[in-house]
Amino acid sequence: MTGDGAVSEGQAVGAGGGADHIRTAAAQRGQDEGNQEDLVSNDCIDHVYHSLLSQLNQEHAEIRLSAFQIASELFSRSHHFRTLLVDNFQEFLELTVETDSEQPLPPPKEVARKLRALAIQTVQSWQASYGTAYKKLALGYHFLKQVKKVDFQDAEARTVTERRREEERQRKMQRIYKERVEAATNDMEEAHQDIEATLTEMESCMKLLLPRFDHTDVQTTDSSPSNSQPADELTPDDEQPCCSKDLQDDKKEEKTQGGEERGKKKKDKGGTEEKRDNRENKKAKKKKEKSSEDEEEKKKREMDEGQSEGGEEEEEDDDDEESSEEEEEESRDLFIRNSGLISHSYNLDLDLSSGLHVRETEDNEAVVSTVIDLDKLITTKHLPAVQGWIQVFTKAGAEEQLLRRALDLKKSLEAALQKHKELHIDYKTRIRKSLKASSDAEDSDDDDGDFDEVPEKEGYEPHIPEHLRAEYGLDPSPSTSAAPIPKKTPSKRPAPPARPPSSSSSSFPSRRLKRLIEQEEEDPTCAAATLRLLRHKVHLPAEPAQSSSTSSGPSSSQSTSDQNAVDAPVVPFGLDLYYWGQEQPNAGKIIKSTSQHQFWVPINTEEEVENKELLAESKSRYITFPGTFIPVSHHCRAPLGNGQLCQRQDRLKCPFHGPIIPRDEEGRPSRQEDRRREEKEERRKLEAQPDLWDAEMMRDIELATGADLGSESLGKKKKGKKKKKYPNLSDLKQNANTARSRLEKKVFNKGSMRRVADAMSKSDRRKHEKFSNQFNYALN
Amino acid sequence: MLGFLTARQAGLDDPLRLRRAEATRRVLCLKLNPDRDVDRIHGNGINTIDIEAVEGRYMLSGGADGVIVIYDLENFSGKLQYTCKAVCTVGRSSRYVHKFSVETVQWYPYDTGMFVSSSFDKTMKVWDTETLKPAEVFEFEDNVYNHHLSPIARKHGLIAVGTKNPKVQLCDLKSGSRIQVLQGHRAEVLSVRWSPRYEYILATASADSKVKVWDVRRASGSLFTLDQHNGDKSKASAEAVNTAHNGRVNGLCFTGDGLYLLTTGTDDRMRLWNSATGENTLVNYGKVCNESRKRLQFTVSRGCSPEFVFVPCGSSVAVYALHTGELVTMLRGHYNNVDCCEFHPDYQELYSGGKDCNILAWVPVLRAADVEEESNRENKGATGQSTVNPAFQDAWSSDED
Repeated sequence: MTGDGAVSEGQAVGAGGGADHIRTAAAQRGQDEGNQEDLVSNDCIDHVYHSLLSQLNQEHAEIRLSAFQIASELFSRSHHFRTLLVDNFQEFLELTVETDSEQPLPPPKEVARKLRALAIQTVQSWQASYGTAYKKLALGYHFLKQVKKVDFQDAEARTVTERRREEERQRKMQRIYKERVEAATNDMEEAHQDIEATLTEMESCMKLLLPRFDHTDVQTTDSSPSNSQPADELTPDDEQPCCSKDLQDDKKEEKTQGGEERGKKKKDKGGTEEKRDNRENKKAKKKKEKSSEDEEEKKKREMDEGQSEGGEEEEEDDDDEESSEEEEEESRDLFIRNSGLISHSYNLDLDLSSGLHVRETEDNEAVVSTVIDLDKLITTKHLPAVQGWIQVFTKAGAEEQLLRRALDLKKSLEAALQKHKELHIDYKTRIRKSLKASSDAEDSDDDDGDFDEVPEKEGYEPHIPEHLRAEYGLDPSPSTSAAPIPKKTPSKRPAPPARPPSSSSSSFPSRRLKRLIEQEEEDPTCAAATLRLLRHKVHLPAEPAQSSSTSSGPSSSQSTSDQNAVDAPVVPFGLDLYYWGQEQPNAGKIIKSTSQHQFWVPINTEEEVENKELLAESKSRYITFPGTFIPVSHHCRAPLGNGQLCQRQDRLKCPFHGPIIPRDEEGRPSRQEDRRREEKEERRKLEAQPDLWDAEMMRDIELATGADLGSESLGKKKKGKKKKKYPNLSDLKQNANTARSRLEKKVFNKGSMRRVADAMSKSDRRKHEKFSNQFNYALN
Repeated sequence: MLGFLTARQAGLDDPLRLRRAEATRRVLCLKLNPDRDVDRIHGNGINTIDIEAVEGRYMLSGGADGVIVIYDLENFSGKLQYTCKAVCTVGRSSRYVHKFSVETVQWYPYDTGMFVSSSFDKTMKVWDTETLKPAEVFEFEDNVYNHHLSPIARKHGLIAVGTKNPKVQLCDLKSGSRIQVLQGHRAEVLSVRWSPRYEYILATASADSKVKVWDVRRASGSLFTLDQHNGDKSKASAEAVNTAHNGRVNGLCFTGDGLYLLTTGTDDRMRLWNSATGENTLVNYGKVCNESRKRLQFTVSRGCSPEFVFVPCGSSVAVYALHTGELVTMLRGHYNNVDCCEFHPDYQELYSGGKDCNILAWVPVLRAADVEEESNRENKGATGQSTVNPAFQDAWSSDED
């Protein structure tokens, strides 16, 4: 730019074309910058700037954030970019810092907040490094600082109003939290005792079940578990009993016949091995080859161990006795053979890794059921409550003491649960046992029989729902444990006169129940007391009443008149019974008066008319025969998604799986045609509703193989969505899918609106029709 | 430039011609200059500024918080970098301060010893600059939107006051009383302006979309009402007859010679009228964003060969060529709406105030780099350049790093 420029400029001014001048000035500046050895030309920067700005204008905070990050990088690099950006700094701030309240940052909210904070931080750093050089940047910074009152130290980068709102919100939340903490504290105070009691109970139950709960040294004391459990049997692995026995024999052998070992071994070698199975045989042989010193040492050690275990002594003594008897009875050879085989470092594999097993027996049944109840109480009530408290405390930042207490509670509860789990209580055996027990425990049956004899009466509910049974002082249905029980009919309806013994409840609950009932009968407010009263009242005539109620149909047995009287149906009194066995005198006759007048009647005009229908009516009687109710005893048993079988008990047709058909163990229809029909149905369902997941997978496969498998037709709907286009952007429309919006879609859609409008206008019109002749209604 | 100089030397040209050319050139180079700052005194939006005509040295500004500040614009330091200091302030601590937003401030045209301010607290105060005390307070029934003293009046000392009341009031400085009322508008009067050519001619703009031109000696009514359709009945609907805009008219400005009158309205239009005939010149300025509910203060350059209009437009100041309507440039620097701007005719500087509390000085940026200097600098090499300002350096990371 030399004199030429000045001349042209002067001309331009003279001509009044100011813009020209500006253009030339800009060009010159551009040239200046071009002179510097820039790697990037200003055109590129211009282009980048404009595309960035267009991205910044997108209504998506994530896009803006990304664009802003690029911009901040470029800003620190290029002077040209800085000038461009600073020239348009207002808009830039509007788009990133939300300076214009009418242009809020677009969703998603968290990203917008992040963008804002980042932008404010960046502006501050820009101001620090470039503020003096770029006036507008400094102005913008001051604008933010003084007009928008942005606190640059504040990490949250909020304006004053925002901060105030935030404070208010915080205060509100704090108040709520405080209330919650107080409530939780109160709850905890109240429930603490309860939980403690539960825990102690649980603990003591555990102790009862397993006096020494900790694992003893399994390697050395094979018999200790069984020894330490007086009430329960430990269930070791199948072969363990025999093994241990052998070993004990072996030990005893060593004790008693320490010196004979050589001979025994020799005899062993002598070959009675064929009676033992092969494996042991080989093992023994291998062992035998070892040096004798080794063997001796081992034996000694075993003996020592055996003696050191005080608890074992008894048992071993028992074994000793046993074995001595055996000794006497059995042949010496066999014995030697046994001992010989084992004595050579028989490798004992006592697999107790699966933990303890507690088998439920009659003796510990009460304890086990209490444990189960307690376990359920803890898992369903205490633990969730404690967890809730902990949540409240942590959220509200309550004092540490409370939190620690709650945590302690939780820990102990969990420990108790864990302990219970480790017990591996065998519930199935419990049921079996209980059934067995109930079958031979007659008295319990009698108890139930007592209940059954009580006839139906007003105020007494024949049906008591399962969950109310305990409340009524009745036998809590024994099916509370997880395992399914063979069907039981605990119903108190008078139907079954003789119940199968297997269907009665377990012996323990009934026994306990009896006690319970006795107690409760003392209490006049209890249902049981009423029950007893009723029983007393009705006991004597109970038998006939019962039989009469049970045999509602015409009884076939005509043996005795007594029986007859018992079987006779009770019917409401009627005309036919009044004239039972006689001719009804004026049945079906109506006095017909010719005059309708009430008092002004001519004499002797009455006239009797016979009506056939009336006659028949007075002699006939309706007897309704509903039949007896037979409870459904079968299940649907169609296979469910979770691998179980459908447990619905419908008479003919399951609402989910159609007509009930015979099925095998796995829920497959046992008849061929049923199976075929079911398969067909399945196929049709699959075809009608192609799985989206399937379509996606197909598409993946297609991408991988490059072959068209027809996923296009499967997932056509999904295509063309924006989400597909930008999978990393969070979908803004997603959060529009709320209950409210869905309802809105239904309520405010055009059709329903029109329907409502139609209905309303119709009702309006009806009003007009109704009062159409009255002009004042017609007007409005 | 050289051409002008030689012509001037040879006496071919009128001296005015060179002056105009240079003034125009400077106006076209108006930029936000880091060398010129104005003290940030106002804690709230700035509604009005005024530069005195006597020396062109002091500037008044009135803020939305009622504060009035006087700045010294003259730079005696000899350096480029200059911050216009606030000479004195009628702050919130003063007992005479306006209670509410100051809408208009104006120097007394012949002396800086006096200025007049009007505010939304329904008063207009005549201040003594020395003591910063009001010498006279006029009280009104309504908010005062605007007042104006005639810049050339020698035979009268009237202040025209536009208030929320449709009646335009004339206050006499000599007697300190309201002496006359001009009736004719039907809504609040947002702007009043004396003609700089004839001392009795007054233009008023109102929210009823009308602009009236008055001769204050005539009691019967206005001289004429500006009509955007120039009396063409076919174009105007019945209610739009005799209207200057299709919305509120909130800005009025005579050109320096008083021959033309500019109006702005909330219909986002600016119109140029012949002030003698009231004829719409139909210059098309395009869209001039204007959402202000109050008065908009805009200005016209003086002493340029094509004159320019500086009009606030959103958060920037638009510069139009007066007679062609061409948008010359947008001066972008404010971060919120601009409410007022004032042209300094001596230095071709523009001062603008906005809601972002800033008063920005737009100073002509002349091409600093002359030919000789540039060659010198080239000789010096890149080091010389980097000393200018490190912030202007690029900092590209190269691939080798």
